[in-house]
Amino acid sequence: MLRRFAISCVVALAAISAAARTRPHYGGTIHVEIAGDPWERPSGVARRLVYDGLTEFDSGGALRTALSVAWEQDNNFHRWQFRLRQGVRFHDGTLLSSATVVASLNASCRTDCPWNSVKAVGPLVIFTNDSPMPNLPSLLASDQFLIALTTRADGKTSGAIGTGPFQVTGFNNGILALAANENCWSGRPFADAVEVRVHRAVRDQWLDLSLGHADVVEIPAEQFRQAQQQHLSVHASLPLTLLALQVNDTGALANVKLRAAIASAVDRSALYNVIFQKQGEITAGILPQGMTGYSFLFPPDRDLNRAHELRGGLATGTLTLSADGEGAEQLAAQRIALNLREAGFNVQMAAAGVQHADMVLRMLSIAGDDPAAALERVLWDFGDPAPVTEQTPAALYKREQSILDDRKIVPLLDLPLAFATGPRLRDLHLRADGTPNLPDASLEDTR
Amino acid sequence: MSLRQKLLLLFSLTVAAAVAAVGWTVLVRIRQVFERHDQDETALFVSQFQREFQHRSASVAAAIDRIANQDHMRSVAFELVQSGDAAPFLNEALSLAQDAHLDFLEIVGPDGNIVSSAQWPARFGYPDPAASDLRSTPFLKREDLPDGSTALGLFAVRTIRGAEPPVKLIGGVRMDQTFLADLPVTPGMQVGLYSDPTASGTIETSARQNSPATFDPNKLVGVDGTVTGASKYLPLIEQARRTGHDANGILYLTANREDSIAVTAIPLKNSAGNVLAVLTVAISRSGLVAEQKQIREIAYGVAAGGILLAIIFSLWIAARVSRPVEELARAAEEVAGGNWDARVPERGSDEVGVLARSFNHMTEQLENQREKLVQSERVAAWRELARRLAHELKNPLFPLQLTVENLTRARQLPPAEFDEVFNESTQTLSMEIGNLKKIIGRFSDFSKMPKPELERIDAKDVIERVRSLYAAQSDQGPRIEVVAKIEKAPMPLMVDPELLHRALSNLVLNAKDAMPEGGTVTLSAQNRESNVEICVSDTGQGLTPEECERLFTPYYTTKQHGTGLGLAIVQSVVADHAGTIAVESREGHGATFVITLPRADV
Repeated sequence: MLRRFAISCVVALAAISAAARTRPHYGGTIHVEIAGDPWERPSGVARRLVYDGLTEFDSGGALRTALSVAWEQDNNFHRWQFRLRQGVRFHDGTLLSSATVVASLNASCRTDCPWNSVKAVGPLVIFTNDSPMPNLPSLLASDQFLIALTTRADGKTSGAIGTGPFQVTGFNNGILALAANENCWSGRPFADAVEVRVHRAVRDQWLDLSLGHADVVEIPAEQFRQAQQQHLSVHASLPLTLLALQVNDTGALANVKLRAAIASAVDRSALYNVIFQKQGEITAGILPQGMTGYSFLFPPDRDLNRAHELRGGLATGTLTLSADGEGAEQLAAQRIALNLREAGFNVQMAAAGVQHADMVLRMLSIAGDDPAAALERVLWDFGDPAPVTEQTPAALYKREQSILDDRKIVPLLDLPLAFATGPRLRDLHLRADGTPNLPDASLEDTR
Repeated sequence: MSLRQKLLLLFSLTVAAAVAAVGWTVLVRIRQVFERHDQDETALFVSQFQREFQHRSASVAAAIDRIANQDHMRSVAFELVQSGDAAPFLNEALSLAQDAHLDFLEIVGPDGNIVSSAQWPARFGYPDPAASDLRSTPFLKREDLPDGSTALGLFAVRTIRGAEPPVKLIGGVRMDQTFLADLPVTPGMQVGLYSDPTASGTIETSARQNSPATFDPNKLVGVDGTVTGASKYLPLIEQARRTGHDANGILYLTANREDSIAVTAIPLKNSAGNVLAVLTVAISRSGLVAEQKQIREIAYGVAAGGILLAIIFSLWIAARVSRPVEELARAAEEVAGGNWDARVPERGSDEVGVLARSFNHMTEQLENQREKLVQSERVAAWRELARRLAHELKNPLFPLQLTVENLTRARQLPPAEFDEVFNESTQTLSMEIGNLKKIIGRFSDFSKMPKPELERIDAKDVIERVRSLYAAQSDQGPRIEVVAKIEKAPMPLMVDPELLHRALSNLVLNAKDAMPEGGTVTLSAQNRESNVEICVSDTGQGLTPEECERLFTPYYTTKQHGTGLGLAIVQSVVADHAGTIAVESREGHGATFVITLPRADV
């Protein structure tokens, strides 16, 4: 019996310790490595760590409160008012107010805002517009409208000061250091700090991961299979990142036939099968199949003959094509340039980020579970804002069809975002936009 | 130019020409030798360079070989053939190229399509025609790049063993500045590469194939960038491109010859024989030119020294040769000027010495002859004078003698007849004694012609006086007209107006005497260059040539009655005024006496 008791005690202790291991621990520094800029849009890893928006998407894509606690529309969506969460402070201690929110929003979009005016009225932030804004709350969840402190109390321009779970403590030797915001309105993150090592090649990131120098590294879509072959612990989102070609409708491409020829000339299969290694989905629709269910209706196949037919004898001169991002995006842009040359277009690659290129290959985040809001956000991101009030799939389909018929947006692929994590990191989930939710992640017992 | 100067010039030119001819021959020969040596050296360098180029090409092929023989590549090829899925190998070529330090590398699948491309990753799935090239030797190809440009490269194709159907590797290095920098060059050698973008490449460059080939100096690159003076390479590069063979030449990069270079343009061709680029090997000729310059300077210095010595020697020779001749010339001049005492030194026994002795003898003889001539002329003049005197005196003496004889005989006559005879005889005696006095007076006048007292007059005045004097007398005796034709321009003279008047009067009197039947005496005067020419013409019988010759001899006359001194007086007056007198006449056409006197204002 004594033996049985001892054995029971041992089993009980083991169970308790196992249970203890499942509880997240506070403390430690999460080491993140990325190839790009932590502040870049749409998926800069530091943005959501440092800033919050008035609204946000949960992991399921549903819209929820963040810095605002409630919102209501008025006058048939011409007016919205958002009530701010009280007691929220910026990292420097400045109290979040409607004035600071208005200042941040104005700085975000300056003269090109989806609203005519935004005002601070007590704890309310009020938006008004001549056109209806049915999807404003969803729009405010995008990372363009994250709230930052633009001017400090002493009147000086502030740096990266937000209300998020982490605050910037420094940037040295290519490492962005973030420390936990002890008084974060959404709760203190588990980790004490996050260090983001920037502009690190993917190969080196994986090496660091294997050596234990990194906890979170990127997995570009085209290297997903390799990551699996190397048995990395991969966290991948749904294919919610749209790779699309934005075609300028001025200058040489003002003629819609030429834009249609471009759309017909692009070979999505090569992009999907080879460049992105069969990750994601081929799409000819703006919103993913999983969100709308009708995306498959848009034909994605290449038709070079039709492209020649549409181009006819029209001369376009030399067209420029640039791509956001590096790596696979650049390769995809080069491939598209080749496709277009076969259709008789003279296309030259422009440097990344060059202004006023005739065509730009872009990556856009399609987050949220509301297709209309998502579509409106996409239009906004493409610089062609227009309210999307259609709610039914059929209406949305027609709306999307009409947008696509203009041939200013040529959807190519829906791609997932993916990250690999080290053995120290626990409970890492991806947000609705595919970025890692680091505040809710913790490290193994650091003792 | 004097004889000495001519001799000096002749000697100097002869020596200079000889030196120049020898120097030119030597320099030409030296240049030929140097240039042949330069060509040989250039050819040696070029040949060595071409071997190095071949070696570099072989190293490219070896690098591709190594990749093709890697186990990893074999497994890639095997997997590629088995699965048919090229996607996993998209980036394979890039990493392989980086490891092997190749600029170009493509993996081409069994279907001839690109699986992976290091230089243009997006070109997967497109065919690469070079994959069908079965040659094992490296070849040139112009490769299209994503930015629309093309690059010339040295390529090799290898098959990866073990895979069937075969998977190929096409790789190479870019032929650019880096490639050139890796080629070993000797000091003074500069290598350049001219890449012709209009040569055929792949399908993407087909649109450019028809564009005309124009020379762009910026496309001739060397190790350090664009080659200096690239535009001067144009003829050789064009020749190499056109003919497909090496072209050689010498280029002058600047006006300075030391900046010249010996250039060999080597055409680089692709498998189809098209010239894709031209490799230029330039070897500096500065050393050669400097050596040539040094030799030339030495030659010029020696030649200059030689010519200088020759001139000095020529001066001495010319002086030695010309001095006796100059002495002879001076002596001859003196003799011509009247100094018959001039003599020259007699030196040596050569022709010049003989000439000097002959000259001295000749002048001695001349002087002796002159003495004799003067004496004989003096004798002749005395004889003539005596004859004239005898003739002149005889005329009046004969009547004198008759008259005295008559008087003597008349003493026998009665006093009345004696008185008559005495009165006639005394008249005759007085008249003949007057004639004698006249004759003696003329002789006395001629013997003591006065020195002229010069004063400035116009010839017109004297002539007009003479004309008016004798025109008035022309009313008596035979009808003789005296006219004057005088130039209107001033004719100033520095003369003794009385003596000139006298001379002209004598001429007018002679002219009147020459026209016993009447006629016209013309007095004319005109400016003749720096002289004044005064003519006295008559329309008488004229003179024979013999008479013209002797006309100015004292006491010579054609008149029955005359002393023969008139023209001698005229000649004496003219000579005293530094003038000349001449006669122009033809028998039956009158005579013209021409007096030429110097103008006073010259």
